[in-house]
Amino acid sequence: MTTSVIPSAARPAAGSGRLYLRRFARNRGALLGVALFALLVLFSAFGGLFSPYAPTDADFTALTQPPGAAHYFGTNQGGNDVYAQAVHGLQRSLVIAVSVSALTIVLAALIGAGAAYLGGRVEKLTLAVIHFLLVVPSFLILALVSHRLAGDWRVLIVVLTVFGWMTTARVVWSLSTSLRERDYVLAAEFMGVRPWRIVVRHIIPNLGSLLVVNLTLGVVATVLSETALSFLGFGVQTPDVSLGTMLADGSGTITSAPWLFVFPAGLVVLLTVSMTLVGDGLRDALDPTSVSAASGGAR
Amino acid sequence: MSRHQAAITSDSEGSAARFHPAESHVEHAQNRPTATRPPHRARYGPERRTAYRDRRTGAREGGAVLRHVMRKAVGWLAMIVVATNATYVLASWFLDPRSNYLGTRPIRTEAEIDRALAPYNLDPRVPLVDRWWHWLRDVVLHFDWGKSPVGAPVNDEIGFRVLVSGQLVTAATLLSVLLGVALSVSTASRQYGWWDRFTQLVSVFLFNVPTAVAALGVVLVGIWLNQSLGLRFLYVAGEKSPTVEGLLPTLADRLQHLILPTLSLTLLGYVGYHLTQRTLLLDAIDSDYVRTARATGLTRAQAIRRHALRASLIPTATSLAFGIPAVFTGAVVTETVFGWNGMGQYFTQTIAKNDVHGAVAVAAFGAAMTAIGAVLADIAVVVLDPRVRVN
Repeated sequence: MTTSVIPSAARPAAGSGRLYLRRFARNRGALLGVALFALLVLFSAFGGLFSPYAPTDADFTALTQPPGAAHYFGTNQGGNDVYAQAVHGLQRSLVIAVSVSALTIVLAALIGAGAAYLGGRVEKLTLAVIHFLLVVPSFLILALVSHRLAGDWRVLIVVLTVFGWMTTARVVWSLSTSLRERDYVLAAEFMGVRPWRIVVRHIIPNLGSLLVVNLTLGVVATVLSETALSFLGFGVQTPDVSLGTMLADGSGTITSAPWLFVFPAGLVVLLTVSMTLVGDGLRDALDPTSVSAASGGAR
Repeated sequence: MSRHQAAITSDSEGSAARFHPAESHVEHAQNRPTATRPPHRARYGPERRTAYRDRRTGAREGGAVLRHVMRKAVGWLAMIVVATNATYVLASWFLDPRSNYLGTRPIRTEAEIDRALAPYNLDPRVPLVDRWWHWLRDVVLHFDWGKSPVGAPVNDEIGFRVLVSGQLVTAATLLSVLLGVALSVSTASRQYGWWDRFTQLVSVFLFNVPTAVAALGVVLVGIWLNQSLGLRFLYVAGEKSPTVEGLLPTLADRLQHLILPTLSLTLLGYVGYHLTQRTLLLDAIDSDYVRTARATGLTRAQAIRRHALRASLIPTATSLAFGIPAVFTGAVVTETVFGWNGMGQYFTQTIAKNDVHGAVAVAAFGAAMTAIGAVLADIAVVVLDPRVRVN
């Protein structure tokens, strides 16, 4: 569990990076995840070079064609090349997922650790806000807001971040409450270090392993919610393409034209599985005492 | 996601009920002089369980549990009220009912559109506070949730849709919890056996599958099954057939429609319970009290079922409350794929059609489901955790 990631006093001081790397490299599942993820990133960046079509090009001589030599993944009802769309959609989904997850972690770490360290009214208020946002059907509000503002994927990043930080912030807060009593924090306090500097320099670095693991798992969570939003028509909107919109396009024809659905579905699952494997490997490498929830199958 | 949720809720819900380290009558019962104790194994089993049962269901305790639950329910009611009103404000900001009239012929001026919206309490010229007060009065006094921008009453839609979604969400939640816990128990006693590895591989995979992909995959399998059996047994669209009559045929028809969407929701829902429950159970198996239970002569399976499982179910019970919104989110996509006319599909429609009042009603339903889940989780914690006292 992630709660057990509180670093112990016997943490290796020097050369810990190399130790973590060695532990990570021992985990075959994690290496597979890294390789898969790297392949997907390369595919999204350079996959377009292998096809003459752009995602918005419409080939009216080939509507709803099955995969073939001209169109590797076939074409959809509008004559768009599914391969080109898949490359572009993967790129969209990747950029959204990675940036949302990074922003979320930063926000959650600052808010969670800040609330725990500052305490008092700030802490109470922050917890109330977190609890409220967790209880409110946030997916509904997400859809409400992004329907109006989205269409632009950059807005989607902001919206997903604003409604995505609470869970991690809650975990960070509960771990930070014990860190704030540690001797080194008290020592820093007596030396006159300012509160926010203590939060950023002394508390947050000690949650590093938790944050790194949550960063990778946050990518998975973001891909899933972006896909759901776009599938329902509230996320990325035409003419822009993400894996979610491709799934929505393919959902009507899964028996007559399965390639419209199979390729984006396969890419989404590869993306999330690879990130889960990486996250799990990181958890095992950074905290050997943790019982990882998902690693049994990967060992 | 569910994995994280378990992590956060497990440490927070302890404050939900009071904790009394000093036990009263039961401890005395167990601290009788050794001479009067019945033989070893007999003493352990039935007597101890009776003690638990007395503490749980004694009349005095029952009343306290009820009061405790009532108090929590009031808190949740306040939360629903706040959430619903917040959604009203947000929906009024972000949805534009005017756009429903922009494409109509003959073309209307802006003033005409506003006049058309006025009887439905959606006139943008009226200040938001006034519209909100009007809406709130109707909801509180007449339980009238307002009208859509074209005048269709929200109440008419909500009535049957709540039932449609309710059966889907309830069935999927129950099945998810049962399947998740059952799998964790069946695998935890033989960690890293082939069954443990296999179920975990499947669960980790399913954990990563988006709802839309899973639902469509289930549709594909359903169609393939129907074709290969040459029957129309599993339905992939809608929640009922229009022409079926009679009680038994109707029931069968409903069930045939229910199977695939429930399967799809359960496949995604059970994963969180399985993975968290397995971890918790493995932690519990190594604990002292389970070793003590084994030392009293219980078999490993008995010790797991009676002691380890019970203790490790507590965090799962608390995460149930936060799992229900996830089921609801999944149900939005699932209902869209399977063409169910439930709250989920209504929700996408209301947002697409700028129906402020409809969207707010859906949010209220979602909040209510969360609250029901939370109250159920509270009851479960009181029943499961012998340390938790309510008074």
